[in-house]
Amino acid sequence: MWEATVDGRTLHFHVAGINNQNFIMRDDETGSWWQQATGECILGPLKGRRLKLSDHEELTFATWRRENPQGRVMRPDPAIAAAGKYAPANWEQRMSRMPVVTTTDGASEVFPPRTLVAGLTVGDASKAYPLDALRRQNPVIDKVGGVNVLLLVGEDGRSVRAFESSMDGRKLEFFLKPNALPLRVVDAETGSEWDFTGTATSGAFIGRQLRRLQVLEDYWFDWKTHHPDTGAYLLGER
Amino acid sequence: MKRSLALFFVVFIAVACVAVPVWLIQPFSSQTARALEVAYTLRRWSPLVTVAALLVSLFLIARMWRGARWWGKGLLTTALVFVCASAWFARQNQYDWMFKPLAHVAYARADDASFVADDDMVLAVRNNGGAVAYPVRLLAYHHLVEDTVGETPVVSTY
Repeated sequence: MWEATVDGRTLHFHVAGINNQNFIMRDDETGSWWQQATGECILGPLKGRRLKLSDHEELTFATWRRENPQGRVMRPDPAIAAAGKYAPANWEQRMSRMPVVTTTDGASEVFPPRTLVAGLTVGDASKAYPLDALRRQNPVIDKVGGVNVLLLVGEDGRSVRAFESSMDGRKLEFFLKPNALPLRVVDAETGSEWDFTGTATSGAFIGRQLRRLQVLEDYWFDWKTHHPDTGAYLLGER
Repeated sequence: MKRSLALFFVVFIAVACVAVPVWLIQPFSSQTARALEVAYTLRRWSPLVTVAALLVSLFLIARMWRGARWWGKGLLTTALVFVCASAWFARQNQYDWMFKPLAHVAYARADDASFVADDDMVLAVRNNGGAVAYPVRLLAYHHLVEDTVGETPVVSTY
């Protein structure tokens, strides 16, 4: 998910190849090759340049629609849909069984290669959170690159968001509000309630918003290939 | 004899410079930085190299045609077909065949999007008041979709 403009010029991209199971895109304007996972130009006239990451997240459609009733949704192309080319509903489960070819040393693997992780990058530090661990320990409070972070799984059990968990220089501890629908977390310091967008809906912080952090969902093997120094969150770490 | 050797060499070059990148960057294999560089260089120059190969082989074949027997003419024709095919393939992007790009992407309003299930995942982009959802099941096929969200050109990738 990238902004397509480099040096004031809008580039147009096509898929041009595969590099260790992450695709390469080629821009029509200069013929350079770009790595999809990092937005970095790896070969050609623009080598070394990076596309700017655009604000994005992975959500269930229900969660997205609730928050963006005025938004628009990409339609399937009728011809491609008729040819049965689009991914089936159980696509995620199928992908989890696909082979992995990257050269990782099996013994030191923290998670199985196809583990779905939510990847966080703060400054120079990266950390991967398996979705399963996030679901079980919702919410997760942690520290990445010296920044206190809060990771939330929505009530759909699938959408993940991350926030800076400090407000006005105070580090906040969060707890899940039992049986709340839609989801609410409560901070231990003021008892304010916060929703899935990171906005306080009651208490001393009402109306305030936690700073959103970019989450990249990926398979562990791919995340680790592109973030070799990444940390890994283990269940029960705190 | 010299001419036929030269022709064989030219055909080999033309075929190799389109076949090697396909072999190097196939899915489900591991790529090194060196292999990618070779593939990139070949992809970059193959349109030119194959046309040069075509001109040289046309020249050679014209010279050899008269003296050739029927089977010789058959071989010369085959050689020409290979070089023409290479020149054509060098101008194709086989990934466009595999993951057909969309010239015009159509969109629906959030409430009208009956083609997405509630628990389907979407890639959501917000910018300057614009909000767009790209269903992951669609992106998993196209891999990339170009769009403008909140007046910013973006490329949505998956």
